[in-house]
Amino acid sequence: MKTAMKGLAGKSAQSLAIAAFTLLIGMQLSAADGAPQVTLNVAKAGPRTVESLTGRVIVRDYRFAWASLDTAMQTNSTDPLNGLLAGTASSWFGEAVKSQRQNGITSRYLNQVHKVDAVFYAPEGDVIELHDSAEYDLEIRDGDKAIHNEHARVDYVVLMTPGADRWVIRQLQAVPHF
Amino acid sequence: MSWSINTVSKNLKRCCFAAPAVVLWICASVGAKAQEAALRAPSGAVAGAATSIGTSGSGSATLYLTGPATALKRDVQLGQDISLSPRDLHSAGRYLAIVCSPECSSVTFFVAPSKPSRLTFLVHPSRAPVGLNDVISGVAIPFDEFQNMVIAPSNIEFQLAAGGAAPTSRTVQTHDGVAWFRTNSGKTAGALQVIASWNDVSAKRVVQQVASDPCSLRIKGQPAAKGILVETEPVHDCSGNPVPDGTIVTFTAKNGNQTSFVDAPVKQDVARATLLVKGPVVVSAASGVAMGNELRLNGKE
Repeated sequence: MKTAMKGLAGKSAQSLAIAAFTLLIGMQLSAADGAPQVTLNVAKAGPRTVESLTGRVIVRDYRFAWASLDTAMQTNSTDPLNGLLAGTASSWFGEAVKSQRQNGITSRYLNQVHKVDAVFYAPEGDVIELHDSAEYDLEIRDGDKAIHNEHARVDYVVLMTPGADRWVIRQLQAVPHF
Repeated sequence: MSWSINTVSKNLKRCCFAAPAVVLWICASVGAKAQEAALRAPSGAVAGAATSIGTSGSGSATLYLTGPATALKRDVQLGQDISLSPRDLHSAGRYLAIVCSPECSSVTFFVAPSKPSRLTFLVHPSRAPVGLNDVISGVAIPFDEFQNMVIAPSNIEFQLAAGGAAPTSRTVQTHDGVAWFRTNSGKTAGALQVIASWNDVSAKRVVQQVASDPCSLRIKGQPAAKGILVETEPVHDCSGNPVPDGTIVTFTAKNGNQTSFVDAPVKQDVARATLLVKGPVVVSAASGVAMGNELRLNGKE
């Protein structure tokens, strides 16, 4: 009986591990095309459980937002960010793009890898907090001259809220550490 | 506070790898220039507070400062501290200061949020039936005056006050910048004020507690000019609160094998309907899970 229970528990654990692995793989979108690579871990999220479909949509929208953010900072146009950022995040990046344009500066966020943990998902599902351990190659130019290149590792606290058909970033705040 | 210093000096590397002794003095010269642009990151920078970046060396240089909401460029003198005004550092996050003269050196530093001055407070639902467990929830997120999320732990007090009852409160420390609660609805219909506060900063929301489903139904009826007029006694939930107008009561009339239904909304606590039946019928009523008594009546033609 004890052995049977043990076997059952082992099988359950194995099934859970496979399910978790499948979920992780499912939520990962590869960077084969040079687009940001985003993985989302929802194990620490609470009090509400992040459903699989919700996780996938968040990954999709977060990834797209970062790709658009790179384009916006490279071209000094806020157009790519329309509808992807809201509130403070929108106004911050709007100001950053504006002042880059005024000073002839451009930035690139290349080879992005985002390891994202969902740390809080509101009881009613109207806000999610993410911790993103991001890595990217940051390139800053003044006109044609490269003034800075670095492989940056930056931790971001992110607040996202659901919109009509997507999740939007409301807060994207870098912190020294989590 | 963490920071790092990075020096971009491709020309210097190229020069020194060239190796001939005759150009050593040039390497030394360029190396000295790169040394001149060494930067010291500000420590303990806080949003909206002035700070400065230390520099060593001499001569003029160009400063680039990029941050969450800024990308400024201006001329500076090496060897002097570079002053950053409160306006330059409104947004909390990672800043990168680059000084080029013409070799570029850089330093990164973080600006922390200042103290909370506003609470984002999400409360659900706006209307809650009375007597339900864990039906009301609230999430509070403190922000400073520059819209920076305050991630350092803060004690948020949640206070719930319904008319006539003593307010209840609990204190929750923010975790990762968020404090939240979940609670039961009260027993009495009416407005429930929910207040989140941190020191003198507060945000108030109101949840309308409404009657829950009807608890029981009593009906009465009488023959009308055509059929039967039936109505309920005032409909209450199990806590004695009158159910909201519009709550549907279904009247059922059975006459042998024939059954007819009429849905009627509660209006001013009572639901009424005229059943177009003739002869002896058994009338009953139901709303949600509540069933009413049965009446035996005779419908007129």
